[in-house]
Amino acid sequence: MNFVILAITNPILLPALIGAGIALLAGIVILLVFRFFSVEVNPLQKTLEDVLPGVNCGGCGYSGCAAYAAALADGSEPLTTLCTAGGQDTATAVAEVMGVEAGTVVPTVAHVYCQGTTGNTAERYVYTGPRNCAAAASLFSGPNSCTYGCLGFGDCVAVCEFNALYIEDGIAHVNHENCTACGKCVAACPKLLIEMIPKHELATTVTCKNCWPAKAARQACKVACIACGRCVKVCPVNAIVMENNLAVIDQELCIHCGECVKVCPTKAIREGLLKGPGTRPEAV
Amino acid sequence: MKEFLIILFSVILIDNLVLSRFLGVCSFLGLTKSVKNAMGMSVAVIFVMLVSTAVTYPIYWDLLEPVGLGYLQTVVFILVIASVVQVLEAIIRKGFPPLYKAMGIYLPLITTNCAILGVMLINIQETYSFMAAITSSLGAGVGYMLAMFLFAGVREKMDKADIPEFMDGLPITLMAAAIVSVSFMGFKGVIENLFG
Repeated sequence: MNFVILAITNPILLPALIGAGIALLAGIVILLVFRFFSVEVNPLQKTLEDVLPGVNCGGCGYSGCAAYAAALADGSEPLTTLCTAGGQDTATAVAEVMGVEAGTVVPTVAHVYCQGTTGNTAERYVYTGPRNCAAAASLFSGPNSCTYGCLGFGDCVAVCEFNALYIEDGIAHVNHENCTACGKCVAACPKLLIEMIPKHELATTVTCKNCWPAKAARQACKVACIACGRCVKVCPVNAIVMENNLAVIDQELCIHCGECVKVCPTKAIREGLLKGPGTRPEAV
Repeated sequence: MKEFLIILFSVILIDNLVLSRFLGVCSFLGLTKSVKNAMGMSVAVIFVMLVSTAVTYPIYWDLLEPVGLGYLQTVVFILVIASVVQVLEAIIRKGFPPLYKAMGIYLPLITTNCAILGVMLINIQETYSFMAAITSSLGAGVGYMLAMFLFAGVREKMDKADIPEFMDGLPITLMAAAIVSVSFMGFKGVIENLFG
């Protein structure tokens, strides 16, 4: 009893008791809430997170490695081969953890659909604005004579975390050895020039996105696709279709025979992948 | 009704939490790189602001003030707000997964956010009634959201601008924040003319 009176009247003990009381109450409430509202984290998820590379590139389509691990762990994602950064090794490891048979990863690689180097295209005006593609593209579609072409300021290079892109002769190129197909460059390009293609040593693409008619396309760029249709005729598996004055090769159907490369009058069709600055397209 | 409207508008526009009172500046600078993040954080702040007011208001007026311990408010409020945010996070995580996905990652950031504590203390200082305190908290949250939204828009534009190297990064961000803040001075006197 004496203690209670002392506690209420004492100017130091009372605040201390009230503070401690509130802290105790808050602690109990937190404890109870955590007990009743606990979310079970699947132990599988933790193991999967350790197996995944942890670079959070988003190449799998999830926001990060943890999100992909969570989807795998709760069974909403059956595919164990989505990690593009880790490739086959990661896919095997993930499959092992999940206890399923390892699938094969079809490796993909980013590809810049433009060959409009400084020698092949001209400048329509002298651009003096900020040195990035997004800003340049918003000013009359950029200074390039081909308004579909690569602007070469390197927005894709800036977002690449794997040092796989580089600018050479005024356009962007992909070093296939470093590319993990995370897809960040695809989103960064204001001209929508970068796409993912299956990684094949003789990957054959119409490396152009120009949809203008033949004459205009030719004037804009020396190596533009002029939609002559020769590749369509020569293709033995009918993998090439003509869309909007532009030949497009279906990468799934292509057998890499190289016939279209031979007949293309403007050399718009390219075979092989690049390795780094100074290299030519070659068989990998 | 008019009293609430006056509180709401004056807290949003004139005494804007971020731009006039300079509370919550760390999150204002840290989370305005994109409009999406800014809005997620703002919604979380509004939510926590309302719940914290509902908890701290009775604690002050029914517990601390009657025994003459009003001076304990800062210590007790920090404790209470931190606990409330923890509890809210657990409940949302279990009960409302979509909501948790939208603002879950921002909740821990709010645990000791000065904006929340600041508004709680201001509500007490102004001796608002309970409903007025809730209104003031709502207004402060909406004002925070407005500032975040405007500034995130400015920063998204600034990403494309050609900024001299010595000003790139934080210096230009602070200058832009100052200009946005000055723009809110234009609202001085609006309330008197609206409701006067």
